[in-house]
Amino acid sequence: MFKRYRPFFKAGMMDMLAYKFNLYTWLLVSSLQVACLVFLWLGVYQSSLEGINSIINGFNYKEMLVYIVFINIFNFVTLDENTLWTIDIEVHDGTIAMSFVKPISYRLRMLFTTFGAFATRVLVIGIPLFIISYGIFYGIGFIVIKSALDLILHLILFIISQMCSLILYDTFSYIFGILCFYTTSSFGLNQLMNVVLKFFSGSLIPISFFPGIMKDICYYLPFAGISQNPILILINKASYIESLKYIGLSLIWIILLNLIAKLLFYTASKKVTVQGG
Amino acid sequence: MNYFKLYFVYLKRSFITRLEYKKDTIISILSFIFGNASAILSIYFILNSIPSLKGWNMYQLGFLYGFSMMPVSLDHLFADDLWNVAYNKVKSGELDRMFLRPVPVLFQVIAETFQLEGLGELIVGIIMISLCGGHIGINWTFPIILLLIVATIFGALIITELKILTSSFAFIFKKSGPLVQMVYNCVSFTNYPLKIFPKVVQVILTFIIPFALFISLPIESILFDTYSPYMLSGIIILFALVFGVISLLVWKACINHYESSGS
Repeated sequence: MFKRYRPFFKAGMMDMLAYKFNLYTWLLVSSLQVACLVFLWLGVYQSSLEGINSIINGFNYKEMLVYIVFINIFNFVTLDENTLWTIDIEVHDGTIAMSFVKPISYRLRMLFTTFGAFATRVLVIGIPLFIISYGIFYGIGFIVIKSALDLILHLILFIISQMCSLILYDTFSYIFGILCFYTTSSFGLNQLMNVVLKFFSGSLIPISFFPGIMKDICYYLPFAGISQNPILILINKASYIESLKYIGLSLIWIILLNLIAKLLFYTASKKVTVQGG
Repeated sequence: MNYFKLYFVYLKRSFITRLEYKKDTIISILSFIFGNASAILSIYFILNSIPSLKGWNMYQLGFLYGFSMMPVSLDHLFADDLWNVAYNKVKSGELDRMFLRPVPVLFQVIAETFQLEGLGELIVGIIMISLCGGHIGINWTFPIILLLIVATIFGALIITELKILTSSFAFIFKKSGPLVQMVYNCVSFTNYPLKIFPKVVQVILTFIIPFALFISLPIESILFDTYSPYMLSGIIILFALVFGVISLLVWKACINHYESSGS
């Protein structure tokens, strides 16, 4: 099955490679944002009752800074709304009609393109940036490694959960892309998807900062698996059992959301309005 | 040529274009409201666990955040097409047609879009200001109202001027989007008290990319009486004029370098 979709994987990889320069400039832009957040959190911890060393909602300031930096790095590497744009473009220029007759799954085609783009971003940005920042944080004592085995196990769990995050985000991107069938424009839908995911995935603040019932609900929603949970695993703030629970939850949501996507695609494809083409 | 008349023609056209995608426009406005609401909620949740952020309580922070949206939303409403110049209009050669018309290119670019999303920000901003302002018990005297109006209008002008300045470079380099983005994104620093940043960042934000000048300083002055409103209003207007002259000169100098990318 993989063989049939390999060209799409490669195309995604090449496409992203062609925009390597764009990636670096974007990195520069987002690093400003991260700097702002770092100062904000330092200010927050300095203003807390017990001073800088207090623990707020389970995080001390070192963990919080590591969390903020890593969540931004991995959001940058993983979250790619290309699927949404592609669907929108294909609805606009009419090439979507071709996908109804080709003997390949539209969903899998999108997914493999996303995998390809992800592979490039991981190699070009993800791994170097991760090694540098992990090294620095370890060097200044912000990250404590218990043992080599513990580190490796957490890294493996992290990679699995990050893959889940990639697929989850791509599924959302796909679902919102299909909704473009109804709005015939993707600008608003893309905005909506990103603001909702950003808030509920713990990218703005960790979900443990949410009040009572909202926190409990957010733990079971699929969003936390996109940003927060992989990072919690990575920085050792989730035990093995918790990590497995997070991954299991993400897998359930991946299956569920893809079923919804399938249903949606089926109904939407009957309504598709092609503008020209 | 009556520019006001012409602007309204453009405005009408812009509305008609957006109405073509009615659902998308509504979703887009909603998402801008949600985006700002979630940022405000985040600050609220953080403030739940600490007594105050460097002496600022929840309502003061809300007041600051709400006000920061005012100049931003005005710029968003009126001058959003500069982004397209910086990102793709030069590169795609789409700007060619503008050079053929007997109206300055900059006017056409500004008039091109009336970005309705800005309304979402404006509404949330006004709500935040009145709610939080009421809670703090701000004494709405003439100098304070004057300062807020000056900071909103001339602040928006400064944002637009910064965008003109940075997007000018697209004429030379074909694309300057990331540069515009980098300067523009600094506005998010003003969502929080200036005090939490290191001195050097404070100076940059006040004098070089002066978002703090028309967002943080006026609000500080209103809440904590740091600067005289009249003096601050004067300085903001002065900065808007200086930046206006600089940005127009740079735009004029750069636009001579425009050559159609020919496709």
